Formats: sequence, C-alpha cells, structure tokens
Amino acid sequence: MNKYLMNGLYTFIGVIAIAAFAFKVFQPIQVLPRMRISPAYSFIDQNGKTLISEDLRGKFVLYSFTYTNCPAPCYNMGDTMTEVQSRLGEVDLGGIPVSFVTISVDPDRDTPEVLNAYGKSLGADFDQWMFVTTPNKALLKTIVGSGFETYYEDKGNGEFALDPGYVLVDGWGIIRSEYRYTTEVSDADRILRHLGVLAEEVKNSTGSAKLAYEAAHLFLCYAP
Amino acid sequence: MKIKVVLSIIVTILVMIAGVYFLRPHTFHGTVIQSPEPSYDFTLTSVDGDVSLSDFRGKIVLIYFGYTFCPDICPGTLGNVAQALRNMGTQADDVQLIMVSLDPERDTPEKLAEYMGHFHPSFIGVTGSKEKLDEVAALYGIFYQKAEGSDATGYLIDHTATLMVLDREGYLKLVFPFGVTAEEIADDLKYMIRQ
Repeated sequence: MNKYLMNGLYTFIGVIAIAAFAFKVFQPIQVLPRMRISPAYSFIDQNGKTLISEDLRGKFVLYSFTYTNCPAPCYNMGDTMTEVQSRLGEVDLGGIPVSFVTISVDPDRDTPEVLNAYGKSLGADFDQWMFVTTPNKALLKTIVGSGFETYYEDKGNGEFALDPGYVLVDGWGIIRSEYRYTTEVSDADRILRHLGVLAEEVKNSTGSAKLAYEAAHLFLCYAP
Repeated sequence: MKIKVVLSIIVTILVMIAGVYFLRPHTFHGTVIQSPEPSYDFTLTSVDGDVSLSDFRGKIVLIYFGYTFCPDICPGTLGNVAQALRNMGTQADDVQLIMVSLDPERDTPEKLAEYMGHFHPSFIGVTGSKEKLDEVAALYGIFYQKAEGSDATGYLIDHTATLMVLDREGYLKLVFPFGVTAEEIADDLKYMIRQ
C-alpha cells in the first residue's frame, strides 16, 4: 500500500509542477500588477467644481499630467488621451466606465477657465475627461510627485520640468500600470489593451475564476 | 495485475484530491497588493512620543485612518480587528495596529490613547498637524473632509474606511474594504504570520 501511496504522491507532485510551469510559460491568463494605492485628493475641475478621488471609485481612470503653458515642442499628452477616449469602443469594458483626469502642475496660471479652454481645444468630453488642479501646491506636489511618482519642478521662469507619463488606476483605487517610456507599440494601443485586461479580470473576480486570476498575480503573468 | 493498476489509479486520485485540498493556495479576503517598494514611512505623535511606521519593522502592521468621535464605522472596524487579535492568541503579538487620527483639533494623543485602549491594549493612536495628516492620508489613498454632524456629535469627518496591512518588511500587502469581519482579518493575518 505504501508503494501505491508514494506513486500517487510522486504523480501528484509531478502534475502540480508541470501545471505550474505550464501556467507560467504559456500564461493562459494575464493580469496587470496591483502596484500601489492611488493617492487621495480633492481637486478643482475645469468647471470650478470639486472632484474628489472617491468620485471615481468603481471606474477605470487614466491620469496624465501637464501645464497648459508648456512651450513647444512640448510633449503633447493630450493626443494620446484623445485617441484613447475616441477608441474606447474597441474594448470590451463589460460596462465599466472609464474616466480621464489631466492634472495641471501649474495652479497659478491654470485656472478653471484656462483648463476649460484647453480641454475644449483637445475636443474633450467633459462628462468623461476632467482637467484639474489645486491651489495647495504642497499637497499637489505630494499627490503628483509622491503619489503618482511623476516628477515635476517649477523652474521659476514660467516653465516646469515635467516627466511625461500616464497612470492607469482601477475601480478600487489601485495603480495598475504606468506609461513613462516610448515603446514600439503606441501608448494608446497599450492603454486600450490594458483596459481590456482589467475589465476581463473584473468580469472573472468571483468563484473559481478568481482563484485562477490570483494565481496569475502570484506567477507574475503580467500583460505586456 | 489488473487489481494493482486499478488500486494505483484510485490511490493516485485520492492523493491528488487530498493534495489539492491541503495545498490549495490561501485566498486572501483583502485585495493583495504587489508593491515593489516599501510603503510611505511617516512619523506622527502618540501619547508616548513620536512614532514612525519603520519602528515596527518585523511586525505585521495594520493602518487605519479614523477619529475618536467617529460614530459607527471606526469603532466597528477597530472592534473587528481587536476580536481578530483575540482569536489569534499569541500570534497577535506579531501584529500592531496603528490608527491615524484625522481629527487633530479634538483628538489629542492622550484622548487617542484612552480611546484605543478600549479596544485592545496594543493599539496605538497617532496624530499630527493638519498638513502632515493631509500628506499621509493622500499617500495612503485616504480622502477625508469635515462634514456636518449633530449637537451631540459636533462635526463629523467623512473618510475612506479601508484597513491596510503591511508585511514585516513594511510593504503594503493587503487592503481590506469596510465591512471585513474579525474572522476574515484573522484568517489573512495568520497566513501572513505563517509565511
């Protein structure tokens, strides 16, 4: 009997090892890492209304960072945001809404009126895409610099040093992806693909499917 | 020979079923975070002086943001954590709860210490300046603002009610939503202690 037991045990260990290896290599399920908590905030938007981080719970949110006086040739993040907004229909989001938030690091000049005009110049749908900032510069630095880990600095001559980038946050307020470097695939294509990956995970977040998705997190099966 | 083959197959299946049951991965009740860097370290004031998050490296740390005048949500969560620690017996020695008060106007370190002691003797309450609390709360994803209360309660503070768990190295590991039970907290903490 012991012999049969040992054979059974070896078979079990073998099957588990092969299954784990196959899961890692073939990655039948891909996820985005849960990187860190998205910072909390209370901003003023392009209509002079308050936008708080809790307003966006349950939505996927794509953040970008800018200042409207950025001199040419300024890295134009609005183009990517506009492209993602216009192509959202290509992704099966399972009914989960997506919001876009562009945070200005220049509250002195980027008043709600200025942000409103800037948003209109990009063709933004203000129901979905908010342009925000806060006069509390210390807190703005904490939120953007430390929370979103996006470096910026007022150079004192009307210009800012600003690292371009986008941050994707899920409906639980967890940062799931950052886009700071140009790759062969455009930022918009990657963001749209990642939105689909997030929606798929939400759709499968209950029952035995949840286990498989947690295994994908455990085995670091991250979508490129 | 045939009997041996059948027996082998049956035993193999039984071992696999038992193996899957006993070796199944722990399913966390909270949301697992795979943070690549330690959580933001802060220093705030308790009744015993300054307290830094990094003082508790080696322990599993639970961080909660609330205030002592909180009518329902905070005492509910703190009560659940206290119950979880009592259920864990001596394993609870490896766990430290810190509540960051979001009400620096009313919550003095002394008042916080008295309040926290009602729940569990190991609980620590800390506070600081409004500016410092704004910074700490923002970086832990905690939104808060004053709200109107009654004559009995005075003003209230609306705040995000999540409970966060840091591992022994100070990495954010879990986020519990409001409503997590004592059993669920204890289950996840016990697993983290075993690891």
